Amino acid sequence: MSDSQNTPPPLGDGRALRLLLRVNGLQAWRKLTSVGEKSKLLTLVIATFLGGYGLVTYLLFYKGLDFLRGFPGIGDLLMERMLFLLFAVLFLLLLFSNLIIGYTSLFRNKESQFLLSAPVSSDTLFRWKFIESTLVASWAFVFLIAPMLIAYGNVRGVDASFYLLTTTLVAGFIILPSVFGSWCAVTLARYMDRRAFQIAAIFGFVIFVFGIRLWMQPEQLNDEAIEFRVLAVLDRVMSKTEFSQFPALPSYWLSSSVQNWADGLRVSARFYMYVLCANVMFFGMLAWTRTGRYFYEASSSVHSRAHVFGQWEWFRNWQAHRAAFSYPKGFMERVFQLLPWIRPDVRALVIKDVRMFWRDTTQWGQTLVLFGLLAVYILNLRHFTRQLSNPFWQHIISYLNLFACSLNLATLTTRFVFPQFSLEGKRVWIVGMSPLGLVKVVKTKFAMSTIGSLIVTLGLIFLSCHFLKLDWQRTAYFVGAIAIMTVTMNALAIGLGVLFPNFKEDNPGKIVSGFGGTFCLVLSFLYIVSSVGMLAIGTPWVRRENITADPVSVTISIGGFILLSMLLGWLPFRLALRKTRDFEY
Amino acid sequence: MIELKNLTKRFGDLTAVNNVSLTVPKGEFFCVLGPNAAGKTTTIKMITGLIKPTEGSVNIAGFDVQSEPLQVRQRMSYVPDFPFLYEKLTPWEFMRFIGQLFNLSEERVQSASRELIPRFNLEPFLRKPIEGLSHGTRQRVAIAAALMHEPEVFVIDEPMVGLDPFHARVVKEILKERSVAGMTVFMSTHQLSVAEQVADRIGIINHGRFVAIGTADELRHWSGNDSLLEDSFLAITREEANITAERMPAPATTP
Repeated sequence: MSDSQNTPPPLGDGRALRLLLRVNGLQAWRKLTSVGEKSKLLTLVIATFLGGYGLVTYLLFYKGLDFLRGFPGIGDLLMERMLFLLFAVLFLLLLFSNLIIGYTSLFRNKESQFLLSAPVSSDTLFRWKFIESTLVASWAFVFLIAPMLIAYGNVRGVDASFYLLTTTLVAGFIILPSVFGSWCAVTLARYMDRRAFQIAAIFGFVIFVFGIRLWMQPEQLNDEAIEFRVLAVLDRVMSKTEFSQFPALPSYWLSSSVQNWADGLRVSARFYMYVLCANVMFFGMLAWTRTGRYFYEASSSVHSRAHVFGQWEWFRNWQAHRAAFSYPKGFMERVFQLLPWIRPDVRALVIKDVRMFWRDTTQWGQTLVLFGLLAVYILNLRHFTRQLSNPFWQHIISYLNLFACSLNLATLTTRFVFPQFSLEGKRVWIVGMSPLGLVKVVKTKFAMSTIGSLIVTLGLIFLSCHFLKLDWQRTAYFVGAIAIMTVTMNALAIGLGVLFPNFKEDNPGKIVSGFGGTFCLVLSFLYIVSSVGMLAIGTPWVRRENITADPVSVTISIGGFILLSMLLGWLPFRLALRKTRDFEY
Repeated sequence: MIELKNLTKRFGDLTAVNNVSLTVPKGEFFCVLGPNAAGKTTTIKMITGLIKPTEGSVNIAGFDVQSEPLQVRQRMSYVPDFPFLYEKLTPWEFMRFIGQLFNLSEERVQSASRELIPRFNLEPFLRKPIEGLSHGTRQRVAIAAALMHEPEVFVIDEPMVGLDPFHARVVKEILKERSVAGMTVFMSTHQLSVAEQVADRIGIINHGRFVAIGTADELRHWSGNDSLLEDSFLAITREEANITAERMPAPATTP
């Protein structure tokens, strides 16, 4: 036993990779089938949602492309530019997504650590993780563009070969951002500390936003230009998006090939396809055969790293100062002391939850991105003063803004509020058995998430009404509507979170992906569609000059909205409170 | 069998492992004790090749960990305190996977499984997904799988976490038997009684250096405490500078 003669030679790279693919494939398959085994209803909900999403997206793209194509003289040009722009932006998103997923998969993944001590070469390990992160990062992209490409094909009236070509092109296209993303991940891991990376990322993001802001700054046009110099104006608009037709971008090769094939220019389409394939093969081969050797160095660096600022004396002094612990009250505690009417135990729970939220970068980072984008959009409304003087557009946009804001809210409540109860995890007894009691815990979480959400949603809707120059009655109407929706969706998320808890999982993303989270998202979505639909149909204000508001339909619509809100918010919340009263630890 | 030569690991200003040299010969059961943040896990990570040493080298079964990693990994097993297992596989599938990963023949997979599975009492769990198993059962699966290829060197971090007394005894017995048969064991633990029961030699690490290496009796003797190993450990680690200068010989690198 235990001597060298008894030891077989290490597995070859090819066999090791096949073994990893097989075992992970089996894992993935069982994860997929276990969803169906656990709940038929969940499978049905997910399948319906995916199917519905595909269909709606297809119809939207079809209508949009058809509309664009209908512009006399410039329809094809607009459609072409949209195609190039869409793929260019998606390429950047894929690159970013691959960088994040690649980094996590290579350096923050337990399987990677496990395999690093197993007889698997770093090359093989990198190859497996490269395949895994490509699939994880790209499936949503494929899901997003498939309805768009089908709609494009139908609008252009192409034959079946178009779909064969686009499938091949997309399969090749997703490899390039994955190659660059994984290479960036390995390089960043090798040379950059986490804090340095965060600072660099924030600076990079600020510079990017500033650059975009400068580049895409709205231009004021006079009436003469709008009425008589349409082509000149169009030319200026097109020049802003010309970057998407930079010939060295992989998205350019994909878009050109797709467009040329649809135009019947097969030789040209094949040329761009070959360019794409050649690049995929070249860079793919580099990643496959070369990047793995740097992976081990990078992995060792990640796990060997001191603080990047440790090289500076001021930082070391500051750390030393911090080490002399003076038992202070935290910043949050001092802030919440300003609210003396909150009971100390409730305050302690709120401070704990706020701290945990703040210290999880992904939590507030995603919130910031979601509402930041909406804020940028609403703030930009002020540039459309001329168009928004038209009551029709004012009316439409005000309801669309309510729709967009509530959709963001639904994402927020499902992603962050729903898992709140589950995140207490196995520690739920700590708060549950304290004098505070579990019922009070649930009510506090509801109050806290509702107040937090209200600050954001009321702010956004108020800004929207302000830039749309709505009178105070309409402003009050929309503010009231979003306030009711905020309370309802928070109650729904907290309620379903308690009714469908998952105490095994620490990752909020995984908690949300279960039945309860999916159910919460679907119910929120249906509630938003119904509510905004009811409010828009029964609007108290006229949409056009020759239509007057009917008091009966207004009453029914607003009454229906309030009733639906009460039902959807109150019922799950009440059931949740009842469940917490009989909760078994 | 395990040879650390002037091993040093620095994290910026912090020296986690400081110029450690140690030889653990073939078939020895070596236990590392030490307070939290003493450098135990960093040493293990360098032995297993998870991180590179800042200075020095590690040799396992005659192969350098950095220049011949595959030869080393083929001859070694590492079980961390919270081992990674594929959650959706069953223990039987996981063990087969490990056997195949180490390039074992079907006959060896079968014979090793038939020996190890009953000893670790894993029969009732063989068809159940790992995700549903308790921490202790997962730990047993991980240890059994790690022993399948009959490693020459076995590195294990806190093996008794989550194990009930019966299975803790089983693990100790099997590791001891294998060690007697020639497998070198390098175990890190906080449980002094475990170290005392199974170890041929015990190394006490503090502030990145081995401050004492010897048998349990030798450690007791050096610390001037003839009763409990716990007292010796506390005496040695409390202020090692006070002790080392006067009463304790320089740590030996070999027995």
